[in-house]
Amino acid sequence: MRLLVFFVAKRNPSFFIRVYPRDSRRLPVRFTKVTLQNFRNLPLAAVALAGRRTFLCGPNGQGKTNFLEAVGYVTALRSFRGAEPRALLALGQAQAGLGFEIEHETFGTSRLTVELAGDRREVMWEQGKVTRLGDFIGKFPTVVFSSQDSQFMRGAPSARRRWLDLTLAAMDPTYLAGLQSYHRALSERNALLKQGGRDAASLSAFEHELATHAVTLVARRTEGVAQLSDLFRQAHARLVPEGELAVLNYAPDAVTAGREAFAAELVAARPRDTMLKSTSIGPHRDDVELLLNGRPAKHFASEGQQRCLVLALRLAQAAYYATKGGVAPVLLCDDVLGELDPVRRGKFWAALEGDPQVIATGTALPDGDDASWQVFDVNAGAITPAL
Amino acid sequence: MTPALENLQKQLKQLPGIGYRSAERLALHLLVSQPARLPELVSALEHAARSVRRCAVCGNLAEEELCPICSDGKRHGGQLCVVENVPDLAAIERSGAYRGRYHVLHGKLSPIRDVAPEDLNLGPLLARLAAGEVTELILALSNDVEGEATCHYLTERLPANGVQVTRIGFGLPSGGGVLYADAVTLKSALEGRRHYS
Ligand SMILES: [Zn+2]
Repeated sequence: MRLLVFFVAKRNPSFFIRVYPRDSRRLPVRFTKVTLQNFRNLPLAAVALAGRRTFLCGPNGQGKTNFLEAVGYVTALRSFRGAEPRALLALGQAQAGLGFEIEHETFGTSRLTVELAGDRREVMWEQGKVTRLGDFIGKFPTVVFSSQDSQFMRGAPSARRRWLDLTLAAMDPTYLAGLQSYHRALSERNALLKQGGRDAASLSAFEHELATHAVTLVARRTEGVAQLSDLFRQAHARLVPEGELAVLNYAPDAVTAGREAFAAELVAARPRDTMLKSTSIGPHRDDVELLLNGRPAKHFASEGQQRCLVLALRLAQAAYYATKGGVAPVLLCDDVLGELDPVRRGKFWAALEGDPQVIATGTALPDGDDASWQVFDVNAGAITPAL
Repeated sequence: MTPALENLQKQLKQLPGIGYRSAERLALHLLVSQPARLPELVSALEHAARSVRRCAVCGNLAEEELCPICSDGKRHGGQLCVVENVPDLAAIERSGAYRGRYHVLHGKLSPIRDVAPEDLNLGPLLARLAAGEVTELILALSNDVEGEATCHYLTERLPANGVQVTRIGFGLPSGGGVLYADAVTLKSALEGRRHYS
């Protein structure tokens, strides 16, 4: 069965008559239509998004976040909740279909479809099949603001590392290629360790590769975090009163003095790693910390301060995409606007650059907002325009 | 569907690139549409199985003790190009840019896929290098993690007789192999080979 994810070709008049905003580096990308079939609890949804502000309203557990998850899938072909492809299928269904119509300053009006079946995934962009993630990642950038973000700050490093990798890879496919090579070399070394680590010559060969990619990865992360930290500091300053300084700090696990030195560390770690059957040092254990006035925010920042920090971090991610990729990303705000008091919310809107599209969710429309929302009700997997 | 047909289909399905439906189509084609061709195919298979073997020197396919390249006196003995597989060798031959000799490893190191050094055609290569005729060793392995690791493994084991080691790579798609490059790209990859360290 072929899933019915298709669109009526509809010419966008602005495709022919382009009006360039003053800052041409920050032209937005905008979803105009989203069609979902058998995606989590959404059996069939066809949502036409008008304008730049869309609000999905409804009680919890009705499918609001699922909709945002589907939109966010387009950035790196994965779920921002870290869900396995299989988990995205509706209960008892073998396939799911996602269809998008997206306006993009460079690509014009694009049609994009994703078919999910088991662990298989097929992505069609216009007429062409997308076969390599590196050819596609970051073409349609989105940034997620989630009410789960405080967990992001306090939880394990893996979530922050994934965030950093996604942010850097979305704007640079060679980062993705380097990351994949690093993990490939890591798996090969781990396979040797599982075999008992007796083949020292093969270990050397793969450690040489591992060290080569590790050094590159650390250099790229160092550079990327420095750029992100700048944007983070600026975004944070727009949200809070003076006197608070936010910094993003890269905390590499190892690899300080180049390829040969790290290869030597790997050799030294062999006895322990053989017992563990895995590699205990390297960039796969890196972390990024959020600092407030020089101290780790996860220990020293108040609840309210932490909320501003994660908000600023996502704004920094959006600014990074806008600067590097030339398009302001779509912002997906999952249940966060309602949590902000009107003053903070006003600052949030003021901090947005490049007039991005915002798709937000909540149990009620944020009060006292001057944003004119297009509103949908979400109830038991049905998304309908609000009356 | 008879047991013999089923067995034939099962055998065909083991072949690379052949799925269930293709296997069925091939089996029916052989037995129903073109049964007269069947003896020819069978004898071609038997003949090939009897006569094709690995070249005793380089690992290429051969029908004699030596493959056509190893027995060709006009090839330069000073250059030795190491490739992963026979199709890679064929691709470089088609590019016409190389007149030296080859060595086929029949794979690359990959602990994940259970390929260890002893599974590769490495010993004979080191013996060839130790014999002293080779002055340049050209590494034409794919530029992915396993290809690079195999290059590194190899260079750590070279006899200490000063053979120059070069690596092709310019213009080759990252992570790709020799096989996926067209003749023009391969030619420039060979010409632009660089000193390997
Ligand atoms: Zn030969």
